[in-house]
Amino acid sequence: MAKPDEFKPDPPSENPKTEADDTDDENGDGGYEEEVEDTEEDELDEEEEDEPEPEPRVRTPQSAVRMQRAKLEGLFQRLQTQSVPLRVHDVLIKGNTKTKDYLIESEAALLKNCTTMQEILEVSRAVNFRLQALEVFDSVKITLDSGPPELPGTSNVIVEVQEAKSPLSGEIGAYTKAEARSSTVEGTLKFKNIFGHGDLWDGSFAYGWDHISELSAGVHFPRFRGSSFPLDVRAFLLSQDWLQFSSFKERSMGLSVALLSSRNHDLVYNLGWRTLTDPSQLASRSVRRQLGHSLLSSLKYTFKVDRRNSTLRPVRGYAFAATSQIAGLAPDSRCSRFLRQEVDLRYAIPLGILNSALNFGISGGIVFPWGAGFKNMPSPLPDRFFLGGNSSPISSLGGPTTVWGYRTRGLGPTESRRQLKSNDGDTEDAADPGVDFLGGDLAVTAFADLSLDFPLKWFRDRGIHGHIFASAGNLERLTQNAYKDFSLQKFVSSFRTSVGAGIVVPIQPFRLEVNYYYMMKKFEHDRGKPRFGVTFSM
Amino acid sequence: MEESRDGDWTLVARKPYFGLPTACPVCLPVYIYLKFARCPFNLEINSAYPDSDQIPYVEGGTYVAYNNEKGGVIQQLKQDGVVDLDSEFSSLPEWVSMKAMMSSWLADAITYELWLGSGENSAKQIYYSDLPWVIGKVLFVKQVYDVKQRFNISKQNAEKKEEERMAVIVSTIASANTMSKNKLFHPCRPTSLDADLVGHVLFTLKALPEDSVIRAALLEHGNLVRYAERHKNDFLTSGQSSASASNFQPPPSAAQASSKPKRKPKREKTEEEKSFQRKAKYFIGAQLVAVLLFLSLLGSSSKADLDEDDED
Repeated sequence: MAKPDEFKPDPPSENPKTEADDTDDENGDGGYEEEVEDTEEDELDEEEEDEPEPEPRVRTPQSAVRMQRAKLEGLFQRLQTQSVPLRVHDVLIKGNTKTKDYLIESEAALLKNCTTMQEILEVSRAVNFRLQALEVFDSVKITLDSGPPELPGTSNVIVEVQEAKSPLSGEIGAYTKAEARSSTVEGTLKFKNIFGHGDLWDGSFAYGWDHISELSAGVHFPRFRGSSFPLDVRAFLLSQDWLQFSSFKERSMGLSVALLSSRNHDLVYNLGWRTLTDPSQLASRSVRRQLGHSLLSSLKYTFKVDRRNSTLRPVRGYAFAATSQIAGLAPDSRCSRFLRQEVDLRYAIPLGILNSALNFGISGGIVFPWGAGFKNMPSPLPDRFFLGGNSSPISSLGGPTTVWGYRTRGLGPTESRRQLKSNDGDTEDAADPGVDFLGGDLAVTAFADLSLDFPLKWFRDRGIHGHIFASAGNLERLTQNAYKDFSLQKFVSSFRTSVGAGIVVPIQPFRLEVNYYYMMKKFEHDRGKPRFGVTFSM
Repeated sequence: MEESRDGDWTLVARKPYFGLPTACPVCLPVYIYLKFARCPFNLEINSAYPDSDQIPYVEGGTYVAYNNEKGGVIQQLKQDGVVDLDSEFSSLPEWVSMKAMMSSWLADAITYELWLGSGENSAKQIYYSDLPWVIGKVLFVKQVYDVKQRFNISKQNAEKKEEERMAVIVSTIASANTMSKNKLFHPCRPTSLDADLVGHVLFTLKALPEDSVIRAALLEHGNLVRYAERHKNDFLTSGQSSASASNFQPPPSAAQASSKPKRKPKREKTEEEKSFQRKAKYFIGAQLVAVLLFLSLLGSSSKADLDEDDED
């Protein structure tokens, strides 16, 4: 992306002129200074009325330049000390051959509400940034020009854009999309501004830490049909391999539409055809019951507030996120129907010594089917909660996912897999097939983390610090009448807990942790033991 | 029938339709076979996976006999010693040849009729009526294509294949009629051959439309029809096993979802696994050292640049 051009007053030779300036611009320095001069001249005239007339002087080029400089300095001083009233009469757009005017005008609309020069400068910077963020321009230059002479105190703003020479670009990066379940590393090919609406067409391949691979193509409209919100539509083909943990593979294909996307709010509609298969033919009974095809039509709303000073090493502030998903939004009653709710809360308290901070966090989630006979129906296996994995709960705000030290999908309800008969026909002697982790309908995790700098400057300069932590989490089934046997006391008493310590290496945009984990409390088939481990998160 | 270790047996099959406990021509013979074995079992319906070749399958505890393994569910049940009704007859040549004709020629003819002939509507009702319309439509088209590929049917040879199919149907049904007169089918000691015959005949009569060529050929042999109807009355009136679709309750003694399953002896790690784990730890340690070295070199080179700038 081209570096945003900072707003600056143009040097005299470069400033484009409007028609109104041709007659007024005697010095060839552009109308920018001229309007200020007019205003200043009026004031100077008033002041001069009380003063005796100075002797007329012959102006040399050097003295003219000195006068110019003096006036400019006077202007800058005024800008620093008082408001300079100035309104925007018109916003002129230049340089766009393909891009529609409305796109640039809508991004620059705020300029028309400005009443002072300081405000115009500040808003111009923001407009410049927003136009650059569209990713369809190589450069953006905003210039102030004098307004029509019959309207004193006004200016014209000239937005000059240079459209991207090459409509094709490629990127490799790490992202967290609203419709994705986890963070991914992604390679993308983009086609820019094909129809002139600032549209970005892309094809991408992504690989996520949770054994996810996704092939997708999408289009992004910064302003759809005049609305102030962007529109994202993606067609995706997603594949997740859970054979090792739960004896099934998931493949989804469909459409994802981001209806609303702003700093705090995300609203996404997903329509997908989901297929669960078991090529290994070793799945347990509960997993076998879930194999097959289903149609997912869901609306997912996320509200997120993150007031922490940093996501890689939060020292102060708080963060809150809540995600609500309702599936089954289709006239066809045969599609997948469930309600899912996640809540995350993080809080960081600075302790004042060695840049140390105490981070707390709690996450919870619940999923339940709805519709006729919902009490006897299981929740869809891919939409349940699974705990464990190699990500840090400090950075992520994606619901209850991690208990430090437990491996991917490493705790919770399990069921024995299919037992194969050995060659001599005896099931007892056959190899142990293991268990399938079935996830839970109710999940809660919590953690506490104390981070502090190392005494050595070498570590402090690189942001490498240490931390001591404790975490806990639990899963429980509620569906198929299991909620009747649910007991809060039993749920709390069966929480898994772990403690540990380690080193954190922030490598933008990742948080790399090398930790030692110790399980304080675990159950028979939980996949966690005292060990060293590495986590990656962002 | 051998008792399942954890209680009841369960047959997972396609949905009931046309007055049949399961309307799928592959599942119905298995259902009838288990009925002949007079073993109580639960019938569970799977409507979400019409293109799976694993269904039907029989499960009991951690044991599962899939349709796509070891020659089919019935064969697997026999081999695993779960239930074997063929022990007395499996050495008879005519029994073996009739069995082969039933399970290959007649089964293929029914498959052809169901997907490529007059049974298209029946196929949609049996396999796709419980799926969302879009998914059902796409899967049906895919299945029709797969069947054409399987029988190697193209526009050029479609007529010829149809003639061959007719000849196969007529000869198979005629052979079955002859065998039934020769007492190859035993109503008192039914075998898997009886299960195949009864299943195919009932499916043809109930699920295929009246203009079906197989149905027309079958109706010419009244004794086969009467034989199948007699067995249908027997197992339909003797009390069907409970069929539950999505509200199946597994028996309490089955392996339940549990966070504390019974202890199993820990498997000893092989030398190979131990050495692999050791190498994995060394690899991770080497990566970490490399990252730290890189950071320190980066830091020192940027510091050297800063020093040079200061000197300038």
